[in-house]
Amino acid sequence: MTAKVAVLFGFGINCDHETKAVFELVGAEAERVHVNRFVSGDTDLSAFDILAVPGGFSFGDHLGSGRLLGNRMRFAMREALQRFVEDGKPIIGICNGFQVLVKTGLLPGPESGSPPDFIQRGSLTLNDSGRYEDRWVTLEFDPKSPCIWTKGMTRMECPVRHGEGKYVMPTVEDLDRLAANHQLTVRYADPSSPPGEGITDTPLTYPLSPNGSMRNIAGICDSSGLVFGLMPHPEAIYARWLHPNHTSTAAPSPSGTALDGWEGEGLQLFRNAVEYVNARKS
Amino acid sequence: MPITRVEITPLQGDGMRDVRGDVVRRQLKADHGLDVGEVRTICGYLVNGTTPADQIAERIEDLFADPIIESGATNTLLLSTERFSSTPEAAISVGFKPGVTDNPGKAATDGFITLFPEDTSANISTYITYAFYGLPTDCDLGWLAGTLHNGLIERALVATASECASGQWPELNYPTPPEQVFIEPQTINLECDDATLESISTQGLLALNLAEMHAIQAHYRDETVRAQRAAMGMVPDAPTDVELECLAQTWSEHCKHKIFASKIHHVDHETGEDTVIDSLFKTHIMKPTHDMQEDVDWLLSVFHDNSGVIAWDDRWSVCMKAETHNSPSALDPYGGAMTGIVGVNRDILGTGLGARPIANTDVFCFGPPNWEGTLPDNLFHPSRVLRGVHAGVRVGGNESGIPTVNGAIVFDDRYIGKPLVYCGTVGIMPRHLPDGRPSHIKTPVAGDIVYMVGGRVGYDGIHGATFSSLELTEESPSSAVQIGDPITQKKMLDMVLEARDAGLISCITDNGAGGLSSSIGEMAEYTNGCEIDLAKVPLKQAGLSPWEILVSESQERMTIAVRPQDQAAFERLAALHEVEATAVATFTSTGVFHVRYGETTVAHLPIEFLHDGVPQLELESAWTPPQHDPFSPPTQVDHGHLLLRMLQRPNIASKETWVRQYDHEVIAQTAIKPFVGVQRDGPGDAGVIAPIHGDPHGLVISCGIAPRYADIDAGAMAAAAIDEAVRNAVCVGLDVDKMAGLDNFCWPDPIESEKTPDGRFKLAQLVRANRELERVCRAYRLPCVSGKDSMKNDYGKGPDKISIPPTLLFSLFGDQPDVRRSATSDFKQVGDRIYLVGRSKQEMGASELAFMLKETEANSGIGGAVPRLLDPEQQLKTYRALSHTVQQGLVRTAHDCSEGGLAVALAEMCIGGRLGAQVDIDGTGDGDVWGRLWGESLGRIIVAVGEEHNAAFLAAMKGHPLTVLGEVVEAPNLVITDGDEVLVDSPVGSMVDAWKGTLDMTGGVA
Repeated sequence: MTAKVAVLFGFGINCDHETKAVFELVGAEAERVHVNRFVSGDTDLSAFDILAVPGGFSFGDHLGSGRLLGNRMRFAMREALQRFVEDGKPIIGICNGFQVLVKTGLLPGPESGSPPDFIQRGSLTLNDSGRYEDRWVTLEFDPKSPCIWTKGMTRMECPVRHGEGKYVMPTVEDLDRLAANHQLTVRYADPSSPPGEGITDTPLTYPLSPNGSMRNIAGICDSSGLVFGLMPHPEAIYARWLHPNHTSTAAPSPSGTALDGWEGEGLQLFRNAVEYVNARKS
Repeated sequence: MPITRVEITPLQGDGMRDVRGDVVRRQLKADHGLDVGEVRTICGYLVNGTTPADQIAERIEDLFADPIIESGATNTLLLSTERFSSTPEAAISVGFKPGVTDNPGKAATDGFITLFPEDTSANISTYITYAFYGLPTDCDLGWLAGTLHNGLIERALVATASECASGQWPELNYPTPPEQVFIEPQTINLECDDATLESISTQGLLALNLAEMHAIQAHYRDETVRAQRAAMGMVPDAPTDVELECLAQTWSEHCKHKIFASKIHHVDHETGEDTVIDSLFKTHIMKPTHDMQEDVDWLLSVFHDNSGVIAWDDRWSVCMKAETHNSPSALDPYGGAMTGIVGVNRDILGTGLGARPIANTDVFCFGPPNWEGTLPDNLFHPSRVLRGVHAGVRVGGNESGIPTVNGAIVFDDRYIGKPLVYCGTVGIMPRHLPDGRPSHIKTPVAGDIVYMVGGRVGYDGIHGATFSSLELTEESPSSAVQIGDPITQKKMLDMVLEARDAGLISCITDNGAGGLSSSIGEMAEYTNGCEIDLAKVPLKQAGLSPWEILVSESQERMTIAVRPQDQAAFERLAALHEVEATAVATFTSTGVFHVRYGETTVAHLPIEFLHDGVPQLELESAWTPPQHDPFSPPTQVDHGHLLLRMLQRPNIASKETWVRQYDHEVIAQTAIKPFVGVQRDGPGDAGVIAPIHGDPHGLVISCGIAPRYADIDAGAMAAAAIDEAVRNAVCVGLDVDKMAGLDNFCWPDPIESEKTPDGRFKLAQLVRANRELERVCRAYRLPCVSGKDSMKNDYGKGPDKISIPPTLLFSLFGDQPDVRRSATSDFKQVGDRIYLVGRSKQEMGASELAFMLKETEANSGIGGAVPRLLDPEQQLKTYRALSHTVQQGLVRTAHDCSEGGLAVALAEMCIGGRLGAQVDIDGTGDGDVWGRLWGESLGRIIVAVGEEHNAAFLAAMKGHPLTVLGEVVEAPNLVITDGDEVLVDSPVGSMVDAWKGTLDMTGGVA
């Protein structure tokens, strides 16, 4: 039996279709579920193995991105989410989904060994540029991160599409704690640095870091490595034809299936989680 | 109810900044060269509810203030606290006027009720306060406040330096809407003289002409009509206000396209032609498409629905629609444009049984952003229009989760009078629904229940349709402006598509112009009747009169018909999505558009009279070619210098700052993006999407627009727009045998009158544009499947009158067999051979270069030969051959040649690839060096081909016009020669700087 994925939607989430699709492309069973179906108890979150909170503009980003949807989840889905995390099931938040997970307090979450406490410890605020932008960035992953989503991944190009992606925490110690646990899973990197050596705490210039994030943070995980969120969109490079420079390589020969030689770098992230769940279930 | 004030401000400290304030500072610097110093901001919330202030204060960090980055206070002005310890030189608060859509306020209200579920009637209004530190002392605060708000929809309070010093802070109060007075339905006596009839129309903002008023008068003189009305207990011989308003909406130019439907007496003083055209639309647009429909099986639905639908493959069909929102955007650029984009999204949602919007296009025409001349009263500076329109479209598109994949921005002085804001949307739907019904066919029957779904009806948006059919004046009503609410619409969209797939929808259309009057009225044609109860319509504020409820254009509403047995399931789905859905009408087969308010009949109009009763206009058209000074180039010239100047022209310069703020790749389908090349900043010619995940089958979306050619001949303008749309799409591998187009005409008033003495000429321009449209579309086998016109794009009267150049936007959507085999404009590899497909002619008339030189050179005009498409049949064959080479993977680099000709196109290809090129333009055409280097002859595409594909490419293009231009080189310069003479030798770096500088307008990042 393969992994069952709940892809949340409603209230302005808008990457639900492609998020569902990428999980299906790596062999999972995925279903779009409206937030209110979980809230009303109509659908049981524990029937799923993975929860994905996709990108979008929940509630128009008003009062801070992810905040109002985060509140709905924090107050109306609290027990269900707590049990999901305690059951060791993976959760991913992408872009607006990351903002939601940060504002519910699921990311970065409490110290290792403590159950989720829904206390907000960091935030995502307006880009230093003051602008919403869609632009491609280079990401580098921390190979020592406990994150189950990013295993084996080193570097990836994908788009950011946000106006509020600057990750901040109140103190240096907060960031140091996450760094020590390798919870700063993914950072913006200078593409001219050698792969594997792109991670730096020194702020990169715009637009290498598109938002001015502290320590160039693009995404973080909780202490277990199961809950993961990031501002960039790995699902947006599920196929190589979505890469802005794909015309600079040779066109494919007429044979072969669509993704033959054309799988994008982002798909591995979703495959990792599905394989993790499948291994656990078997 | 008590009002609780909550104020929030960003925390100060390491790594924290007040970005909203920074943006204000940078924009004022970019637009006005003024450094206003540090700007700090406060977000204010006025909570109107029953929850005590102390309870709100306890939860302030649960809702209003993010505890990590913000701090706040209740019932305290933050400016008076230690968080603002030094005194600003000015403080300005900006909030909405009563009744104006306040989206942050709506979201805050929703969040508030999550926390305080018992405070069900709570309502929150928002404002923002700006505090200025280091403001120059001579800065006019009234002017400064004016740059921060639009008085039509917002209010502002200003505290001067001395007021700030004495603690007299601006303090906006909760905006309570004025009481609306409910007016009982009236009747209007039409038994009066013509002058009175006309004044009834003018006074009531009905925009009905005398012939139309006579037609209405005649209807109420009909004895059968009188008898029916008497039997209904109505005043038999006079219309009710509801009826008259309903007729005015339905018969408006906006809804009925009366000019395109008119009988035109056309005289051509050049050729001596004297002829009568019975409907431009039927003759030149509808007929050609219907003829083409005989030959192909993929034209599923044309003209009659909210958008045109084509079969894309066996499982999916696609549709497209483009609209304009010009007048509202002139009054409130932000709200007007946002309403435009979310409005056209609803056209897609309202197509067939409901299609899903998957791509947006935005094309804007503005005055020059660096305009330094005077501005007529009540008009915004073009840079402000640009910022506002862009922001509205950005928010509308991004928040709806629909990628903006294609567009253009065109500048001309005359668009100061009326900006053009074209918004287009592409949709997709399964060919058949799970219950087997074809999705492009509506299936209503008498007895179906009609729901209004989404937003509520308010005073906003009354008379939008008739207002857009009038010219812009100082008295234009503010109720014609609305602000879209993308999140309410997104919830509705999610819900409607679920309802569609569950088989619950029998008919659907959007509520746009004319409101319920139009939406239910149009759908009632299917069953031949309806009965509406206006008392059931949910209102934003009490007190709206019946006619106002019927015609209000309040946004985010769909009208959906449901079988009675499906009502319960439909209402459950609406509740799940938190979408309001109210049954307001029933379809009948009585032949009557019957409107009640409770038990009282307030309108009883025969469907036939309502839809077909409008008399045909009879208009006069006369063509005399306009005269211009000819283009006469300077004798001493440095083409390299000209190239850098051309790259800086707003019409040519990079629009990256603006376009990058649109999400162009949500849905994970955009295979050819607006930006291409190694640094992802070269221009994309057309958008290509692969909308089915995992499948590389593509859809091309492109556009063409060339308004300035109309200065010489509007016919040439139309042909150029169509050719440009096709050319752009060919560059990325369009299948030319499966493409469809949209014609969107924006014209100045073409009806001769006292205020439009040149109406005959403007109408002749329309005739010529339509004739060329037909000629080119027939030759290209390019059916127009949907279109729209906007015919009153003028400002003011008399000598101050500004009329836009006649402008046709031609949008195209078509098949792209495999997105992996596409091409982009950037040069890819040193050694690639560069070719010109097509020939250059001596066509400098109305070219971008001619317009540029006219500004600086004595005696140089824009006259002369304008680009023409002489043999479109042959041109199509060349396009087909070239497209095949792209689809075969032989060509990976192709770029359309348009504004600025060959020189600019080559420069853009170098910029995209950050590579040089060595090019010789000798032998590329018959023209002189100006014509070959800068001319804008149609039908030309520059391609670059790798060594390994060269032979196959040449074989495939045999028999088509093709010239070797040169090759891509290592040296980072664009070198263009004419034989041995070097014309241009420009470093790529200087070209990048020139091209990217003009429209940056960000004021930097730091």
